[in-house]
Amino acid sequence: MIRFILVQNRQGKTRLSKWYAPFDDDEKLRIRGEVHRLIAPRDQKHQSNFVEYRNYKVVYRRYAGLFFCLCVDSNDNELAYLEAIHLFVEVLDSFFENVCELDLVFNFYKVYAILDEVFLAGEIEETSKEVVLARLEELEKLE
Amino acid sequence: MANIRRQFKDPQLSSYQRKKYVAKLIFVYILGYKVDVGHFEAANLVTSNKYTEKQIGYLAMTLMLHEHSELLLMVVNSIKKDLEENNEYNNCLALHAIANVGSNEMAETLGPSVHRLLISPTSPNFVKKKAALTLLRLYRKYPEVLPASDWAQRIVSIMDDDDLGVVVSVTSLVMAMAQDHLDAFSFCYQKAVDRLHKLVIDREYTATYAYYRIPSPWLQVKLLRLLQYYPPSIDPTVLDVLQKVLKAILNNSVEVASNVQQNNAQNAVLFEAIGLAIHLDATSPIVADAAELLARFISSKETNVRYLGLDTMAHLAARADSLYSIKQHQTTIINSLRDKDVSVRRRALDLLYSMCDTDNAEIIVGELLRYLRVADYGLREEMVLKIAISTEKFATSYKWYIDTILQLISSAGDHVGEEVWYRVVQITTNTENLQEYAARAIFEHLRQPQCHESLVKIGGYILGEYGHLVANDPGLSPIEQFQALHTKSPYCSAPTRALLLTTYIKWVNVFPEIKHHLVNVFERYRYVLDAELQQRACEYYAVATRETDDLLQQMCEEMPPFPPRESTLLNRLNKKHGDTEDGRVWVVGGKEVNEEREKAKLRKNTADQAGNTAANGNASGDVPDLMSLADIDLNGQSSASGVSTAPTIVYAPKPVLDSSPSIDKWYEKLCMSNDGILYENTSIQMGIKSEYHGHLGRIALYVGNKMTVPLTSFTATVTGHNPDALSITFAKIPSNTITSRTQAQHVIHVENKKPFDGSPVLMISYLAGSLTTINIQLPLLVTKFFEGVTLSQTDFFERWKLIGGPPREAQVVFPINLDESGNVDIAKNRKILLGHGFSLLSDVDPNPINLVGAGVLHTSSAGKVGCLLRVEPNKVAKLCRLTVRSTSEEVAGQVLAALQKPLSKNSAL
Repeated sequence: MIRFILVQNRQGKTRLSKWYAPFDDDEKLRIRGEVHRLIAPRDQKHQSNFVEYRNYKVVYRRYAGLFFCLCVDSNDNELAYLEAIHLFVEVLDSFFENVCELDLVFNFYKVYAILDEVFLAGEIEETSKEVVLARLEELEKLE
Repeated sequence: MANIRRQFKDPQLSSYQRKKYVAKLIFVYILGYKVDVGHFEAANLVTSNKYTEKQIGYLAMTLMLHEHSELLLMVVNSIKKDLEENNEYNNCLALHAIANVGSNEMAETLGPSVHRLLISPTSPNFVKKKAALTLLRLYRKYPEVLPASDWAQRIVSIMDDDDLGVVVSVTSLVMAMAQDHLDAFSFCYQKAVDRLHKLVIDREYTATYAYYRIPSPWLQVKLLRLLQYYPPSIDPTVLDVLQKVLKAILNNSVEVASNVQQNNAQNAVLFEAIGLAIHLDATSPIVADAAELLARFISSKETNVRYLGLDTMAHLAARADSLYSIKQHQTTIINSLRDKDVSVRRRALDLLYSMCDTDNAEIIVGELLRYLRVADYGLREEMVLKIAISTEKFATSYKWYIDTILQLISSAGDHVGEEVWYRVVQITTNTENLQEYAARAIFEHLRQPQCHESLVKIGGYILGEYGHLVANDPGLSPIEQFQALHTKSPYCSAPTRALLLTTYIKWVNVFPEIKHHLVNVFERYRYVLDAELQQRACEYYAVATRETDDLLQQMCEEMPPFPPRESTLLNRLNKKHGDTEDGRVWVVGGKEVNEEREKAKLRKNTADQAGNTAANGNASGDVPDLMSLADIDLNGQSSASGVSTAPTIVYAPKPVLDSSPSIDKWYEKLCMSNDGILYENTSIQMGIKSEYHGHLGRIALYVGNKMTVPLTSFTATVTGHNPDALSITFAKIPSNTITSRTQAQHVIHVENKKPFDGSPVLMISYLAGSLTTINIQLPLLVTKFFEGVTLSQTDFFERWKLIGGPPREAQVVFPINLDESGNVDIAKNRKILLGHGFSLLSDVDPNPINLVGAGVLHTSSAGKVGCLLRVEPNKVAKLCRLTVRSTSEEVAGQVLAALQKPLSKNSAL
């Protein structure tokens, strides 16, 4: 299962964080820092998208200036989660029409709503982009 | 902030304003500032009627509160209300909230409501998906309060849903629950295989679920993983389908995809499929093909692929009988230790550790030692452990072992755990011919100007115990040994120095020539500040300066060998794993390690099962037969039959059978004939057509849907039989839907290998609004494999006598009913015997109401078994004696059990 999801920029500022395992606030802060230091210096070209972290591993992918990190169990299927990140980013991209860092900052409540449609309880919930987008449109109308 | 605080104090705050300010608070919180107000307002928003306000309220709750927070208790009631409301959107919000912060209390109070949403036929797909995952969250939090095994069938049946989103979510839930309740969830095996077949081979899925042309890779990965939790299926049909799927996945990977996403998705499935193939049978041709693929992968240009290739190869090494195919690539793997990526290096280390055996241990360990000096700090401790274990396990000579370990300690220094040197000492003490060499080797290391403290500890211990064995060698005299050790002592910590003191006292005993040096040391240590050291020094000083040596000698007896115990190293290494949600299907390490682990697991399982069956035995066993036998225990003669029908081993706990007069009647009728109706209720009707030739049989099961709606999630399985005696296989996996008012046919192949008891149980379940489960006996008795034989009177009696009495005879006397005219119903009895495959011999018994029969049982592995029987009813006493003699003891009892019941009834068959 996914332990947490972090979206950080290159300076290490966390733009989105979602915790599926209980950590207290200090621990969360520490993890943010550790994950950033672990991921940011890694080479894009010659290094894999997986890093071991504590007893888990972090599967990450970089989109422009943002790192999308999923922390998963050490025997989970890495590539499946790597593509799950991509799926999530594609959804964000279609929803915000060319998503950028600021969209995540200012539309935080929408981002969390989207997140809840794609991942829930640390597992993938919906794997079809079209289904998620249709649902989001439906929810938008409620407002 | 101050403004927000002031606003919150205002009692006339409008709900829109409240939402605005709570949203602002969340924003502040996300930016990383502490927020300690607004929780109450958030809870207030949750109860709002407007969707957006509710949404913000829930968001604030889930973001800012911790699952153990007491404030959460405030909203449990609102959540419950939203859950039970007939509004899809509110349901979803409530489910999100539980899925994000669900706690133990919530599992207790809300678990049943969530479950209801999951199984309710009226729930929209979105609610089902979310309910499945929410339930998963609650189950992980607090498995005890959710009756997972009771829900098993219902939950598994949702895996047949048409919506793949629902299937993905439910599969996640099944994966977690099935790990703890393998038996209860065993249905999911077939479902998973069937679904994979549909996705991979039939390509049956909605277009929106293709991800870069790969049919829902996530679902495939999950299903393939789920199958690895179970031991390989014994059903050849299921296995066959599975093999086809795996082959197709492997073949698909040959064409390299054009874009990154497709490539990744394809590989995600591929690696999981290889994992499953290895799990099913590490010697199969598919695995051989996979090994070739892996070989290509580990020298791939793409780092991710190299990483996964090494990882999967380690899985292969953990399971395969022969490491040959992996050893071919040893050089590539060793080179991977120098990869640019630490993740890849780590995988290479794991693989090297797994593939190590006596042949290549020296090369691999040598390579690891060389690499250790440049390895990442984070990796070193684990490396040291792994090197130490491999060295110990695969050492071809003790000499090499000691050399390697000492070198390991001197080069890894601080990364060497205590366990490593304990183990060296243990092994040296227990291996007598190693002691001398060890003493020399450690002395060499101690002479180096710099040496690590762990080495000093080993030196202290080994020289103290075995120093005298080498004291006559040039350059190893007592005084030189003493100097070598003592010059190191100032740089050591207190525990090490204490250990050295013990070494010295041992030397006082064996090396009297350096006694005054040693006593000097004790003398000096009597005044150090450390209490432990001081005490030791004082005591040793006193012992050393006593006039007689007897106490000293007794104290310094040679160490007895350590009792054999499990390597502490392995314990340490195992401790490093753990804490993953998903049960590991294999561990890094050689084949034996994994086998050990399996055994341990098995032992645990069988213990559990023994408990279960003991509990089930009385409740469900094969009640009908046993009961009727026990009731008519007239003259104590039935003991033989009682023994033979009592199940000695219960193979699988038999489910509780459905029964009603008509079910029993249909069953009895089918026991004697090959075609007929098996079951009927308001929604379905089942019939059977069967044929038997020798030891083989073919049963066609017709299932008709009587309703106007399609029947979904149909499953049929046969259980409760001993697979060694009777093999039962479906020709193909039963399709899970039966459209309205149509009939589906399922062909079952049976093979009788050995005589067997009773009849197996057919379990049918389907979804028609709610889940219906039907468990009925399949009319498949041992007598189905009988063939009549005709014998003359002399032949008959000759054989009858040849077989003789018990134990190859089974006899029972039971009451019978007479027909309307007050006579024994001979026609019925004849019909029964003929129906059970016996031929009637008319000229054997002069009394016309007695019947005599003969038959041969065909089995594939126990050959043919002859069987003779006599039925002797008595009209006056209303009793009947049934005697069965057979060349096999068990068959006699089994036939008796099968025949007695129909003979005793007066049903107008």
